[in-house]
Amino acid sequence: MSLELTEVVKSFKDDLVLDGVTLTVDKGQTLVLFGPSGAGKTVLLRLVAGVIEPDAGRILIDGKDMRGVEPEYRGVGMAFQNFALFPHMSAMENIASPLTARQLGASAIRSGVDALARLLKIDHVLTHYPRELSNGQKQRTALARALAGQPELLLLDDPLRNVDAKLRFEMRLELPRLLKSQNATVVYVTQDYKEAMALGDRIAVMNHQGIQQYGTPEDIYMRPAHSDIARLFGDPVINLLDVVPERSANDVMIRLSGQPLTIGEHYAHTVSMPCVLGVRPEAVQFADEGTPGSFPVKVEAETPLNEKTVTLMLTAGNREIMMSRPAGTPGPATGTAHITVDLHNAVLFDHGTGTLIESSNSKTGLHGEVA
Amino acid sequence: MVAASAPVRHKRGFKVSKRWLPYVLSLPALLTCIGILIPFFTAVAYSLQRYRLSQPWAREWNWGQNYLNFMSDPAFWNTLKVSLSYAFLAVTLELLLGLGIALLLQRRTRFNNTVSIMLLMPLMTAPALAALMWKLMTNPGFGILSYYASLLGIEDMRWASSPATAMFTVVLVDIWVYTPFIMILLLAGLRSLPRQPFEAAELDGVPRWFVFWRITLPMLTPFLLTATLFRVIESIQQFDIIYAMTQGGPGDTLTVFQVEAYLNFFQSTNVGRSAALLMILWAITYFLSNLFIKNWLRLREKARGEA
Amino acid sequence: MSPVERVLRGLAITLVILFFMFPILWILLMSFQTNETILRVPPSMVFEPTLINYRSLITGKLQTAAGSLEIQFMRNLWNSLLLSTSSVAVGLLLGVPAAYAFARLKFRGSEDIAFTLLSFRFAPPLLVLLPLTIYFQQIGLANTYIGLIWVYQLIVLPLILWIVRGYFEDIPADVEYAYRIAGHSWFATFRKIALPLAKPGIAAAGLLAFIFAWNNFIFALVLASADKQPVTVGALAFVTASGIQYGQIAAGIVLSIAPTFALAIYAQRYLVEGLSLGAVKG
Repeated sequence: MSLELTEVVKSFKDDLVLDGVTLTVDKGQTLVLFGPSGAGKTVLLRLVAGVIEPDAGRILIDGKDMRGVEPEYRGVGMAFQNFALFPHMSAMENIASPLTARQLGASAIRSGVDALARLLKIDHVLTHYPRELSNGQKQRTALARALAGQPELLLLDDPLRNVDAKLRFEMRLELPRLLKSQNATVVYVTQDYKEAMALGDRIAVMNHQGIQQYGTPEDIYMRPAHSDIARLFGDPVINLLDVVPERSANDVMIRLSGQPLTIGEHYAHTVSMPCVLGVRPEAVQFADEGTPGSFPVKVEAETPLNEKTVTLMLTAGNREIMMSRPAGTPGPATGTAHITVDLHNAVLFDHGTGTLIESSNSKTGLHGEVA
Repeated sequence: MVAASAPVRHKRGFKVSKRWLPYVLSLPALLTCIGILIPFFTAVAYSLQRYRLSQPWAREWNWGQNYLNFMSDPAFWNTLKVSLSYAFLAVTLELLLGLGIALLLQRRTRFNNTVSIMLLMPLMTAPALAALMWKLMTNPGFGILSYYASLLGIEDMRWASSPATAMFTVVLVDIWVYTPFIMILLLAGLRSLPRQPFEAAELDGVPRWFVFWRITLPMLTPFLLTATLFRVIESIQQFDIIYAMTQGGPGDTLTVFQVEAYLNFFQSTNVGRSAALLMILWAITYFLSNLFIKNWLRLREKARGEA
Repeated sequence: MSPVERVLRGLAITLVILFFMFPILWILLMSFQTNETILRVPPSMVFEPTLINYRSLITGKLQTAAGSLEIQFMRNLWNSLLLSTSSVAVGLLLGVPAAYAFARLKFRGSEDIAFTLLSFRFAPPLLVLLPLTIYFQQIGLANTYIGLIWVYQLIVLPLILWIVRGYFEDIPADVEYAYRIAGHSWFATFRKIALPLAKPGIAAAGLLAFIFAWNNFIFALVLASADKQPVTVGALAFVTASGIQYGQIAAGIVLSIAPTFALAIYAQRYLVEGLSLGAVKG
């Protein structure tokens, strides 16, 4: 089932939440809605589910206008962030609720629930009430309930938000397979960029009452449309350094801590413009003194992060720059060090508006050669 | 995998459009209450009429005359004075007593909880029956209170039948019935207060009277205000206790608003005056209840927020 | 706590319990006494208990020196039960759906309407009752149970509406949404989700409304004649009728307050919340 939103507007009292959202999800695709809390992701899901009505705009499911169609007739399944299990019903009855609505026979309901429970590994707690379930079991029950009706459109509202890190990791591995096995179109809300990257065929980044960027996970990671988006994707967070491109003898270049680096003629339009350079911490590396393009920094602190080591350093102008390298690789713990910055995957943003500055040649990005 | 491929078949329940649903659900309740609003407006009309049940032929609009008459009517001023004194005396004493008891029972022990439930019994007694109980207790022949009064050397204490002590007696009954209301509200309030300020004060060795005046009382204010307004609104309208005990007597000692209006209507059949009296009472309670509802809403928000 | 303070506290609590409990105890004792023991001077706690007062109330025959007297007390008790039960039943039937509408389906004017309903709770009852006596004559509702039950809604409905509304509001909206999305109609959701989850609140509101209805005096005093009067009004008439049969009056009072006491103890958890119309959680 495809989903199509056109210019959808929704406000609560004087609070504008969605300001003209247009979005398409193709049949069988998984779209991740990613954004900070309060960006309107949950509201969008509820509008699609039909539990609230838009102020303006159209919502089409499978090409049919959903205006005035009650939630029970929309054929969607939904899992809620806080699970929203029915506290007075057992896990079994919870999962069965989409099936009882169809007035299926007891045995059909039973076998449907059992199959899902086995798949989600909760068959041993089916008689328990929600208050007797662990958070992980609650989450799986909620998921099973959303899937039970075999909906062709599945809405998942940050289902991993309220479970612990270990379980989240497990589910992040399990979910893509599960979702594909359902053959459903999925809209998945999350605030976790790794989840977004792992699950989404497409990602829509929501911010400021609308969709800020729409694209494949790679697109958004590599070419974030705005410095805010760049900051949201990646851990440790991207380095954002103020630069002003200038013209050198035969090229365009920027200076990092005094060290000139060329960025290529196709950035000629940025000359003298205050810009922000976005460099992923992975692109920063220790180098021997005297390496071309290297410059000195003061190492401030170092901390392990997952399988990486993150180093916070200060440039000569006392600006912070962060490096991330595989844990275990050697490096000076404190004192002065020299680093190089690889600009191949770096991006330039407008200093004032924060928007991405495209190269005039769409095929090439920043060069990053030593001037 | 899941045997649910059957098409969605829905029970044909009665279908109501989403827009009309809230109205359909609340309409019966609203209609019932509109049935109550009509008599209200009738009462407004009555208050603007010269209308005696005994002289239906003389019924006519006299507009504000009933109200104007009050200005020079000592009985009206007496009613106002008696009502206000009753409310003031009863609520002040109940507030002091209720606060005292709440402070006594503040700690959550099994004994304290049992006592607070016991103390609710007077509140669960119908005020009219409570008046009757006290009437028996103050009976000059065998009333236990009369007997004790005589032991204390107060011979011939006539309680509610003497103008000198009638107000005292009905206020006493009011206190007996309604102090538990204030107590239980303040107790809930006290127990809902955050602990930290008190623990900090104890650690710092702040004297207890200071803690009471500067921490407990200010934090309890919303509860005190709710309880006070609630009780003022109710006691200024008190009817049951006074009517059951003395029917407004002796003489006009206890002719509070509702009792006076009742007697005007049923005894002197003066509908116009009765309605005008009630309108004035309504104006007073309307003003107070607006204050109350505002304060009450704030408390309610808070209670819901904590839940 | 210093020993002096401990003693003072104990004394204060004893005095409080004495003041609030003594009248009930005294009436209870009185109900088991004959007129002779009641009228003894000085009064004494020692007496031979008798059930004669209760017996004559229940059989409806009052033996006095002047002869046998018919009494209506059981009839009053029955009226109280009938009026309170039906009022609460009607109040729940009308109030619960309305409370749901006010809690869930915010609609235009819903707050204003809810407040108007609430403000009835604070208006002088006679203001409405006096015109009603005249209207009830005209439309044939005078001295009928139906008329009384309707008027009782004045106290029952606001109570039920505001307490139950609070309980409905406490149900997370998502839980109801989840049931709708699973394919159930709003009515099924109301029945299978909202009602079961608000059940404690509905029970509490019902019990409290029952207590308030039972204890009401003024409605029936104005609108009902002897055969429809509840105990609150009936007891007063009974005092006049029975003359000096104090033991029976006491027994009547005991029988009249026992049901509300029992309910209060049963529903004590909800009393605070109900008495403050949901402003304070118990």
